[in-house]
Amino acid sequence: MASQCAEIAGRVNAELRRMVDAGCSFADARYFDESSSEFLLLYDGNLEGNGAEWERGIGVRVLYHGAWGFAATANLDAIPACFDRALANGRAAAMLPGCPRDMGAARPVTGSYRPSVVRDPFGVPLRDKLALMQCLDAELQAPHVEHRFVYIHTQRCRVFYWNSEGTEIDRLHIHPFGYLRVMATDAEGCAQRRSHELSGNGQGTRGFEWLADGDEFGNHAERLKSELADILAAAEALTPGRRSVILLPAQGWIQAHETIGHALELDRILGYERSYMGASHVKPWMIGTLQYGSEKLNCRAGVIPNSAGTFGYDDEGSPQQDIPLIEKGLLVNVLSSRADLAEVNAAAGRTVVTEAGNAARACAFYRSPIDRMTNVNIDPGEDGTLEDIIASTEDGIILDKYSSWSIGPNREHFHFACELAWEVKDGARARVLKNPSYQGHTLEFWHALDMVGDERTWRVEQTSDCGKGEPNQAIQVAHGVPVMRFHNVETGEMR
Amino acid sequence: MLAPRLRELLCTTRDYARREGIQAELSLHRERSSLIRLGNSAVALSTSEELTRFDVKVQDGRRVGSYHVNSDLTSAEQLRDALNRAMEFCAASPENEYEPIFGLVEEDVDDSHGFDPALEALPPEEKIEVCAKVIEAIKPKGAYDFSGSWSSGSTEFYYTTTANDREAYRRLTDGKLVLTIQEQQHKWEIYNEQSGKGKAEFSADNAIMELERLLPIYESQPGYAPPLGNTRVIFGPQAIGELLMMTLWGGFVGRMYEEKQAYTSGKPFGEQLFSPLISITDDPGHPGVYGMPFDFNGMRRRRAFPLVGGGMFRGLIYDTRTAAKYGKTPTGHDGAIDLVLSTGDAPAGLDAAFSLTGDGLYIPFLHYVNMPEPSKGLMTGASRFNALRIVDGRPVAPIFSVRITDSVVTILSNTLAISSLPVFLDVSTTYERRSPQAVSVPEYLICDNVRISDTTESF
Repeated sequence: MASQCAEIAGRVNAELRRMVDAGCSFADARYFDESSSEFLLLYDGNLEGNGAEWERGIGVRVLYHGAWGFAATANLDAIPACFDRALANGRAAAMLPGCPRDMGAARPVTGSYRPSVVRDPFGVPLRDKLALMQCLDAELQAPHVEHRFVYIHTQRCRVFYWNSEGTEIDRLHIHPFGYLRVMATDAEGCAQRRSHELSGNGQGTRGFEWLADGDEFGNHAERLKSELADILAAAEALTPGRRSVILLPAQGWIQAHETIGHALELDRILGYERSYMGASHVKPWMIGTLQYGSEKLNCRAGVIPNSAGTFGYDDEGSPQQDIPLIEKGLLVNVLSSRADLAEVNAAAGRTVVTEAGNAARACAFYRSPIDRMTNVNIDPGEDGTLEDIIASTEDGIILDKYSSWSIGPNREHFHFACELAWEVKDGARARVLKNPSYQGHTLEFWHALDMVGDERTWRVEQTSDCGKGEPNQAIQVAHGVPVMRFHNVETGEMR
Repeated sequence: MLAPRLRELLCTTRDYARREGIQAELSLHRERSSLIRLGNSAVALSTSEELTRFDVKVQDGRRVGSYHVNSDLTSAEQLRDALNRAMEFCAASPENEYEPIFGLVEEDVDDSHGFDPALEALPPEEKIEVCAKVIEAIKPKGAYDFSGSWSSGSTEFYYTTTANDREAYRRLTDGKLVLTIQEQQHKWEIYNEQSGKGKAEFSADNAIMELERLLPIYESQPGYAPPLGNTRVIFGPQAIGELLMMTLWGGFVGRMYEEKQAYTSGKPFGEQLFSPLISITDDPGHPGVYGMPFDFNGMRRRRAFPLVGGGMFRGLIYDTRTAAKYGKTPTGHDGAIDLVLSTGDAPAGLDAAFSLTGDGLYIPFLHYVNMPEPSKGLMTGASRFNALRIVDGRPVAPIFSVRITDSVVTILSNTLAISSLPVFLDVSTTYERRSPQAVSVPEYLICDNVRISDTTESF
């Protein structure tokens, strides 16, 4: 444990013991020594976002008679009082008990996590970042481009974790996010856009060098301009009808995120998110028996070296592991934390989850951990490249990058609009169609998965702000996804 | 007024900046928040947080930089450090093409209306007692799982700038209780929501009455899957709130309008946009909203600001940055809005709404609404809790989850009747910080030819 935190560690560990003595079966603390975020937005060449955030504080949690109490403070002189508040909250929560939360057998761990980084983004002079952004902004300029976005958002977070089982974890997280966008108005007066976000293949390092890597970020400027011109020149919007859709990774990730990832979060399955962002169509007894999709569908909560969803240890101190979620279309596991396993197994009437899924995550010192996505990945398949998939498609569209997303209350149905579509006719990519959209029902859709691209098509896409939970939390997640084809999908809008 | 020690720190920092020739806007956000989260008819989590955030923005001609601190603020050095960090960002910035409008507090504001100490201090035990009473009353009637949450707390906003010595301060309380029931076998979901500025707004009896009103029809009738196509819809408060926010975002935000992304782009004020029944105002003085008397870029006292009157285009909201870029006057909407959709003259009460409708759908809640094509006002969202099929003026069955994909322009143009009863609707979020926001909407809105784009056979 770093020396500068030894004093805090000593005080926290004394409080953890005090909580156990007070009747808590478990207690933990997350001290965010530094949580920094820098945001730079160049909009039409004007620096409209130019600043940073910095946070420090501690959040503590106690499990009292099977119910959680949580409290947070930025006042490090008031740590005992913070524990007292958490205990009082836990005692209150235990007034209306249900299936008691239980952490299971103690699993003390000591460890640390550091991402692989060459240049810490927070060590790079601001002028160097702005120079990169201005260079990219210049590359986005063209007569047909009306508006340009260059956005860089970096995060660095140092978290120390202790629990009453003796676990001590020291984590450092560094996250670079980048965004390019061009916009223009088409002949019908409809706003059109084309975007690219920093993404990769899951390898390499995740410092400023990733943002500076042209192949992953900046070199896409020319493509975006060209494709925006194609959209503006497109005479027609996508006509409604059923056809095959081929999702590129920049669209496929959010499909997986919304209709697999969120649906498999155990707290949703147990109904805890119902009053806010919705529960899940998956019920406890379906784990191990539900055919979620076609046999082409293999999905896992994976560990990826370079990913926003990689964190080493979750916010209960559990080491991050590779966990299969769906195998040949069969649902085999869910995204879980330690405390809810007894409840899900009781609800299922049999043991459906044997080990916690190291998916407890808190976005800040003032938020309690909840069940979260990590890297929810779709495994590559054996159907070749994008070109191979196009060649085997008679009537379809290729879709890239969402512009709107709307999901049913229990993740059972969805609607996406995308930035553009390419028509596919008789095995060849044809014209560009604008204003594309598609909708469907989750299980029917994943059963319609009939081609999955190989590892050459697999990309890791990421987001900084997956929202969930009450109080609300926005967290970083990532998804490695290949090109995927689905047959007989409802596309387009009746107008 | 803000706690004297914090106020002194902020004024000291402001005066320091002024002495150093720095143009700075300083604001403070303090929250005391608590929440209980329910699942499977039990309380799973009880939380409380006390947080103080300092936000500083500095401007040097056409350059701007900002810095935000969420920590234990006890010394002037901490605030000066933040000021200096904002200065570093400002100094490194290239010159923008336009000069941002610097913040100015036009008149002192010290506003604590809507602050209820009893709600601020509401202990989890009292919340749990209310929830337990509801569960105790309803649970014996069937195989039900209760979920929900109850958030409450206080927020203080303080704002001052180096332009003068004036200060703007707002303190308020807010709370929102949501209780849902899922029936274990058929999976239908119903819910009750209560929100308000004071503790007196919340009661177990209100929840029990609303849930008991819905239970008979949900228990006795199977779900109904409406056909695809156009139908008459009675929107209830939460759905109207979503429609209102989409209507605002897609049509009345100055940046969207200027950049031709809005469905109003190119239209002049005075043009008929919607049914003459529709009037929308941003009104911080309306009793049905939380009411923010100033905004966060140096306001200017916020007053009633019409957006739509009698269906006609009346106004656009411009934040200071957009106003500077496009040569407009800022309208007091940097992070503050209190939307009011005016009530109509239709009789209050759902029985009246059903009777007026004849045949149609009652959809009180729209889930996960988004805008596939803002230029056309096209929105999409799914029905959720408490939705009913209406036949011959009576509710006859619960409806399965359906998707509405239609233009807000079309929906608001096809409005047939609006309830005379206003409803206070909390639309707050707590991402990063407690941000109380409410809209005042009519109890119901009856609209013709609303397009159902997808239908399911599950709730």
